[in-house]
Amino acid sequence: MSDQQALVPPPAWRRPPAAPPLLLAGSIALYVGVALWTGETRMLETDGVIGLLQRMVGLGIVALGQTFAIIAGSIDLSVANLISVAAVLASFIMQGRADMMLVAVLIVLAISALVGVVNGAIISRLKVNPFIATLGVGLILQGLLSASFTDFAGSVPKEFQLVAYSTFGVVPYSVAALFALAGVASFVLWATRFGAHLYAVGGNAEGARLAGIRTDLVTIGAHVVCSLSAGLTGLYLASRLRSGAPWVGRDGVYDLESIAVVVIGGTLLAGGRGGVWGTLAGVLLFATLDAAFNMLGVSAYPKLVLRGAIVILAVAIYTFRTRGLTA
Amino acid sequence: MEQAALALEMLDITKTFPGVQALDAVSFGCARGEVHALCGENGAGKSTLIKILGGVYRPDGGTIRLDGREVAFSHPIAARRAGVSIIYQELSLLPHRSVAENVFLGLEPTRFGVLDRRAMRDNASRLLRRLGSSIAPDTLASDLSIAHQQIVEIAKALAIEARILVMDEPTAALDRVEAARLLDLVRRLSAEGVTIVYISHRMSEIQAIADRVTVLKDGRTVMTAPLAEAPTDRLVRAMVGRDLADFYPPHASEPPGPAALAVRDGANRQLRGVSFELRAGEIVGVAGLEGSGKDALARALIGDEPFESGTMEIGGGTAKPGHPRAAIEAGLGRLSDDRKREGLLMQQSVRDNATLIERAFAPAFRSPIAGSMSPQSTDQRLIKLDVRAASFDQEAQFLSGGNQQKALIARWLARDPEILIFCEPTRGVDVAAKAAIYRIMRDLAKRGRAILMISSDLPEIIGVSDRILIMREGTLAGELPGGAAEEDVMAIAVAHDRVPDAMAS
Repeated sequence: MSDQQALVPPPAWRRPPAAPPLLLAGSIALYVGVALWTGETRMLETDGVIGLLQRMVGLGIVALGQTFAIIAGSIDLSVANLISVAAVLASFIMQGRADMMLVAVLIVLAISALVGVVNGAIISRLKVNPFIATLGVGLILQGLLSASFTDFAGSVPKEFQLVAYSTFGVVPYSVAALFALAGVASFVLWATRFGAHLYAVGGNAEGARLAGIRTDLVTIGAHVVCSLSAGLTGLYLASRLRSGAPWVGRDGVYDLESIAVVVIGGTLLAGGRGGVWGTLAGVLLFATLDAAFNMLGVSAYPKLVLRGAIVILAVAIYTFRTRGLTA
Repeated sequence: MEQAALALEMLDITKTFPGVQALDAVSFGCARGEVHALCGENGAGKSTLIKILGGVYRPDGGTIRLDGREVAFSHPIAARRAGVSIIYQELSLLPHRSVAENVFLGLEPTRFGVLDRRAMRDNASRLLRRLGSSIAPDTLASDLSIAHQQIVEIAKALAIEARILVMDEPTAALDRVEAARLLDLVRRLSAEGVTIVYISHRMSEIQAIADRVTVLKDGRTVMTAPLAEAPTDRLVRAMVGRDLADFYPPHASEPPGPAALAVRDGANRQLRGVSFELRAGEIVGVAGLEGSGKDALARALIGDEPFESGTMEIGGGTAKPGHPRAAIEAGLGRLSDDRKREGLLMQQSVRDNATLIERAFAPAFRSPIAGSMSPQSTDQRLIKLDVRAASFDQEAQFLSGGNQQKALIARWLARDPEILIFCEPTRGVDVAAKAAIYRIMRDLAKRGRAILMISSDLPEIIGVSDRILIMREGTLAGELPGGAAEEDVMAIAVAHDRVPDAMAS
């Protein structure tokens, strides 16, 4: 048998590109370029850069969770609605009282986890297509929420606002938390059995099942992680906005944007390959675009056009590069 | 040791799928350390039986005993925990994951809850070395050749302490040296006390390693015997149910007509230097291993992945179909090897399925149920091909494999192309339908059509073809007359001067 010959890897250009460094370099070049061109050099100082990173937090946290769902071959369209639910519930329960903070956070996270279990169970037990399942759950959440609340509900105490506004030295808690969460997520994907099974189920669900993996539990687990991340984003928004309104998630387009950044980051929409660092680089690219358009003083709509084009371009490049690579 | 308890006993296993009795009271038993060969034609029930053993399907009736203890597997994980490991024919590796990750899929070792990657790599290396291979455990599965992927599958099966190992056509994609090494390994494992159920259609392998043989046919056990009482001709008769001579229609009696299709030096990403002629009135079989390029040849001819260089003539005129529509217009037709994915519209009626090609070429404003597309003439064609359905309005998914295949043939007959390429024409169809499909092919040839039959089923290639082309490593490696010996075809298909595996992947 010709072992040596068999191990010749495909040519380098056919390899999937390493998404995170490319996106990182592109974002930095864009940011620095626009700042210099518009003369907004103060954006290159610490405050400007911190501001850029702060823009990443809301989308970043939920996109980490979305990465789990997509690696497992699923998807979650209910995150935007769940973010609204989390933000409103948190501020409604707290009503400005510091002693209710812990209770509110626990309740929000418990409800988020429950939504994840429901999503995962509908997909893996009732065999409903994940697109439809999570769309339905999202509509139900939004309906319940809008029927109960019509405007900003309650408020969060000063202590809770520290989550969004306080810093370690120059680094905001929230930015540190985003990168810490990304580190944990990366560790889970790389170094735990659950992580390995996520890739297995997303890569070949039937093969995983035949290998003895409880694929239904893996899918449920992925959705619990995804929903918890949406809950955390909701809590962060409540802290930042000082209160929660039933439209915060929808207005942020967190459902579609979280999917977009995951895909830009090099995770296969079909599942089985990808990681959180790519996702984070995608989030950075989106944040950079926002910042760049602000510096240029251009309205928000061309930004949407550019975002759309980037998503399409990224996926087209990945598809081209990986064609014929799969076994 | 007690003689009483067999390592594996399956008693009166029965399984019905909608419209098909897949298994009818099949019984099957293996002693510890035995190599038990399981044979039967496609559709005889072998796969269903092992999927029941592996916990994929639940039987409708019957009992399974391991070492005399009754078991019932509700999930593949239960079967694996009980020491039953199955290597399915369709490889199930994760292409984007490393060899070590694949080998330990579902059984990843952990230390303090963290994956022990070093142990995974080391143990995967050790398992692979035990299989006589030096594949690096960090290689991505998609970078391996099919043969190496097969070896990783075996390592995966051995990663649990398997007491019962089922191998479904493990040598189908291996060359002679690799296959011989695998057979050695099977012997060694059985000497270590592993019970092995070995599924193969290669008679020489069965004669080489089996202790006993069981033959399934149409979902029933027709024979279980020690190897000494099961010479090849008896096995074949048991599998086919009659002598081979009656099964295949007679070869062409008249010399073939003018060339209908000629390819010279055809090449693309997967093919190189392909030259051959196909004449009106003949059936030419194309044989070759998995990855030999025989499927790529069919796709090139029909314009799905066209030749990038070389010339192609259809009926004497130059043609260069760049996509399927152009090829069909030029007079080609192809019956896909994957009915479900590339052939049938599962939720549409048999009749709609049978008119798909004509509708694709009908003028824009023509009624889709007029003329040759009318229910009457469609039904005529379906009846002529003996398609059995409760009604031709029935959805295609409810037909048996054989009837689905005939409905697809009807689709092409409506257009009646000069050249028809049949890819794996009898995969997953029962014996009666097989014989019928062979007759249809021969009738078409008699009417002056040129038939190219691409098949992995060697007996079928030998029994049906007037000439046999053999492919290897993306090119035509040889030609033999119809009725050639199976060994001669294989010798050409697996010849040893192998080029780097990158070609095949």
